[in-house]
Parts: sequence; structure tokens; C-alpha cells
Amino acid sequence: MNETTCYHRVSTEALTSFLTALLDGGWPVLTEAANGRGWELLPSANAWLNRSALPPTAQSYKQQVFPKSEPIFLYRRTAEGFELLDPPATARPTVVFAARPCDTGSVDVLAKVFNWDYVDTFFNSRAASIIRIGMTCSYTDEHCFCTSLGVHPSSSKGADLFLHGPEQGNYLLEVVTPAGKTFIEPWLALFGAAEPAQPRPRPGPVQRFDAATVREWIASHFEDAMWERIGETCLGCAQCTYVCPVCHCFDIVDENDAYGEGRRMKNWDTCQALQFTKHASGHNPREAQAQRYRQRVSHKFRYYPERFGEVLCTGCGRCTRGCPVGIDLGAILEAIAHSASTHH
Amino acid sequence: MPDIAAIARSLLETGEVDVVIGYIQSGPNRTKPFFARTGEEADRLVWNSSCLNNLSVYLTRQKRPAGKKIGIVSKGCDSRALVMLMQEHQIARDDVHIIGVRCQGVASAMGVPCDAFTRAEKCAQCSTPEPRVYDTLAGDDLPSPSAPARDVNAEAEAAAMSSEERLAYWTVTFDSCIRCYACRQVCPLCYCEQCIAEKNMPQWIESSSTARANLAWNLIRAMHLGGRCIGCNECERVCPSGIPLSRINRHLALHAEKEFHYEAGMDPEASTLIGCYHATDNEEYIR
Repeated sequence: MNETTCYHRVSTEALTSFLTALLDGGWPVLTEAANGRGWELLPSANAWLNRSALPPTAQSYKQQVFPKSEPIFLYRRTAEGFELLDPPATARPTVVFAARPCDTGSVDVLAKVFNWDYVDTFFNSRAASIIRIGMTCSYTDEHCFCTSLGVHPSSSKGADLFLHGPEQGNYLLEVVTPAGKTFIEPWLALFGAAEPAQPRPRPGPVQRFDAATVREWIASHFEDAMWERIGETCLGCAQCTYVCPVCHCFDIVDENDAYGEGRRMKNWDTCQALQFTKHASGHNPREAQAQRYRQRVSHKFRYYPERFGEVLCTGCGRCTRGCPVGIDLGAILEAIAHSASTHH
Repeated sequence: MPDIAAIARSLLETGEVDVVIGYIQSGPNRTKPFFARTGEEADRLVWNSSCLNNLSVYLTRQKRPAGKKIGIVSKGCDSRALVMLMQEHQIARDDVHIIGVRCQGVASAMGVPCDAFTRAEKCAQCSTPEPRVYDTLAGDDLPSPSAPARDVNAEAEAAAMSSEERLAYWTVTFDSCIRCYACRQVCPLCYCEQCIAEKNMPQWIESSSTARANLAWNLIRAMHLGGRCIGCNECERVCPSGIPLSRINRHLALHAEKEFHYEAGMDPEASTLIGCYHATDNEEYIR
């Protein structure tokens, strides 16, 4: 426990009162949708109960900070040329409630690339307008591998506030960031006084591989029969990249509403598509699906860690749960680590 | 009757085929596609009610494995996609060895056992429990499947909404589309080498995920599948947004049947619906 960390005891009833107050106060409160697909505005103050025991929704938290489509400017032809207009501001103060560590764990990872050679104000303003209230994840299945990547069901990394528990109907609220502290202060009367508690971390999935070992193997196996084998059944459907909390590729395209008037859009794109790397000449450096799948794994577990010191994966398992042909990323990484350790 | 693995092993060992595309078990009530190239690999092939994938997609040009002749495991609904691919001259009958399986129905999702409650919805209206084309039939010791039921759901759904209500329903439903195009990639009949969604000179469909562009994409794809979709529902199964695409597909299939007495993928020798004209065709339909 460091200096800024303190815990407040929160009963389920107090949590419901807090959410009621937020909803009554007009706060948009986003949470994983009951239909298990995307995210939705919390319909009522107790609608979140027991959701953390369900599988993560098909789609991740990413869309809250990096929407599937957004205009970066509007344009209009004038007598002198073109007039550029700012897009309508869409970032607004929002609470994301009961986010899992494998979702909040994406925040710092994404921030690195969106503030690297270009400071992406779209991402930053959205991220800054959201208060992320994380919660202990009580779900584990054979596709989860967060613990192999430094995330665990009780990690508060990336959250502003984090609810540990529940234990006997009580949560321990961890105030993680200054933004979280400012936000929660008016509501603290609902909760217990700050106390030096020690939340009991919930055990997560067994650690399956070591990310550094995986990185080394990838670096020395650009050509390997394994990629070919995966590539033959992979359909390039790309759902893995779209549901991923940290895949962040986008395309920029102009769309006209009328002659000389329109907007420049930033839309999600995917390295799994054949066209992604197709050159104007017609040449395509990643013509085969095996090459495209290798790129996805290499970017996540080799290039990104090399450049930014973070693995581009939180082990949420969404890619695997949604894969129509049963490609299991956790099992692939485990096999890579196994192969690396037996051949050295 | 020999099982799938034995048939595949024999085909590979006699050199009849270079590869067999089938299913392997990947967990409890879970299978995944697998390309077997040796007898040993063939021994891993299985057939059960968790074999959800329509493997026919692997015979489209971009996804086809190398090899002169390809073996493929095919259940009834999937065989209709093979028939369509033959009708549309994407595959030659002689280039494939079809290991047909007599199907008793498959589960609605991976990881769940198949019973009366969890069986895939499409199986209730299945008209082809036995493949339409095959070279070898596995599982012929299984009981003969019962007669197909009419697709009363599609009829009822179509009748329940006016065209304005349908437009409103689909506009809202497509709003959650994230334009990943997974529906297209898993579809054995979406084999265009350049999809209209990716044409940008001119750009027919905006790539943004906005209400109008999502409606345009999904309706254009539906129209391109009119009279062609064989109802395997792989598009619906893969959709990360849970869009009920089978409702559109069944609606289109119902029109083909009502207006043209046509059911897609039933006869490799027949013309395609779009590729033929009969003097008796219902002219009222086209206005």
C-alpha cells in the first residue's frame, strides 16, 4: 500500500445508493451489456449485480476511448479553396462501471501508441473524460490468460477507482488515481472511512507462459511451419482484432455528403485483411493469411514490447472466444513458450 | 460403415486426395477445422454434433489449400454451399472428394452439448440432413432423418412487420455493426476477389460505421446473397455484435421459393437463380 492508496468499505446497498445518485444526477454510466455483446448505459442501479461472474462481453472497453468511427474534421469547398471545421465534440464526462482488469489494463498500453509520434487528442480527451471504476473479475475460463501478462483479476492498473471483492456482500474501494479521488470525494459519506485494509486478491487463471520467452522465440522464428499451420484454417475474419481491447489500427478516409462537402473519418481497420498492406502497385507484402496472423502475434508480443515496453495484450481471451475456427491465442503462446524452453 | 478418420486415411494413403479438410476435437463439445495431409493426421478427424463450421469456405479460391484433389467432410447444409460453388463454376466436381455425413443436427454454439434445447435453430428447418452431393457417405447407419419442416418462422416474421417497420428494425439492429466483415469472411459464397465494400474508386459503400453506411453494407451483402445463400448461418454465428443475419437470409430464401420455386444449392446441374430465365417467371415480382 503506497501513500496515496486508501480503502473504503462499501456494502452492496451503499454501492446501489451511489449508482442511484449517479443515474439521478444524469451521469452516463457505461457497463458491459446484458446481452453479452458490447457496452450499454446502465439501465438501473442494481443491473450490474453478478455481471462480473459472466464471461466478458464479446467487445472490449476500447470503443469508449477509440470509437469504431469518428470524424477528425469536416470540410467544405469555398470560393477560395476548402474550409476546415472542427468535428462536433463527442467526449463527455462518463463513468465506466465494473470494468474488468483485462479492460482497464488496456488504458496505459493504448496511451503509449496514441501519444508517441503524434499526440492523438481524440483518444486523450476521451480517456480524460472517463472515470473508470474497475471491479474484481470473478470469471475464469480456459481462454483467460491475464496472469501470464502481468494482469490479474484484482489488479487496479488503469482504473481510477477499484472495487475489490465482494466478500460477505462488502467491497473494498481502492482510490487509485487523483482523478478518482476528486470524483469520489462528494460520495464518500455513503462509504466507510478510509482504513488500511488489505484486499485479498482473487486467484486468476494459472500462469501459462512467460511473455519474455515468447518474445525471444518470435524474434528468431519469422519463418516457421507453425504460422503456415495457423494460416491455413484462419479465415481472416478479423473479429479478433475488432474485439481486442488493445488492437488499435485505423484507416483514414474522406466521405462526401454532397459535392465539396464532407468529413475525414478515422475508422477501425485490421491487419488481418488482405487489403491492409496492398500497395498501389498491386504488390502485397502480406499476401497469405499465415503472414497476416504472424504479424498480429508479432506486433503484440514482440514489436510493441520492443518499442513501448508493454505487451499489446491483456489476456482477456476475447479473440479466442469469438474465433469461428477455434484459433486459441493462449494455447499458441503456451506452445511457443514450451517450444522455446525445450529447444534451448 | 467406416468412420470419417478411416475414410480420410484411406483417401490420403492411396493418393486419391492430397489433403482432407475436416474437423478435430478441440475441447469438450468443441471442434475446429483441420487440414489432414497424412494418415496419422487423418486419425484425428471426428464427426459429431459440435462440428458447426461450414468447411465449404475452404474451397473458395483465396482459401483453398494447395493440392490437386481435395477431400472435404460435408454435412447436408454445408453440401449445399458446395453445390452452389459448382453451379457458379468455382469448383469442379472432379477436383473434390466429398465425404458426406448424415447429420442429426448440430449445437447452436461451440462448448454446449447438442440437445432439443441447444440445437442450432437452422436444424429445425433442415431440408437436407443428407448431403446433396458426396462421394462417400459416413454415418449411414444412423437413423434416417425426419422430413423437413416448412420455415414457418421466416414467414411469420415477414408477415409481422410492414416494410416501414422492417426498415426501422434493421436500421436500429445494424447500428451495432462494427464493420469487421467477419460475416463475409466466413461465408462460402462471399468469394469475390474484390468486395464492393473495399472499392473506393468510386466508393460505393462508406467504410465508416455509421447508420447509413451500416445499412448500405448489410443490405448490399444480403442482395448479393439473394437466391444464393444456403442458410448455414455461419455469418450469424461469427458476428461479434450478435446481429441476427439469418433473419434476412431466411427472408430472401423464402422469396426465392415463393416467387421462383427455387431453393439454392440443391442441384449441381441446375442453373443459378440469377443465371436463368423462364417464361413462367412471376413478372409481378419485378416492378
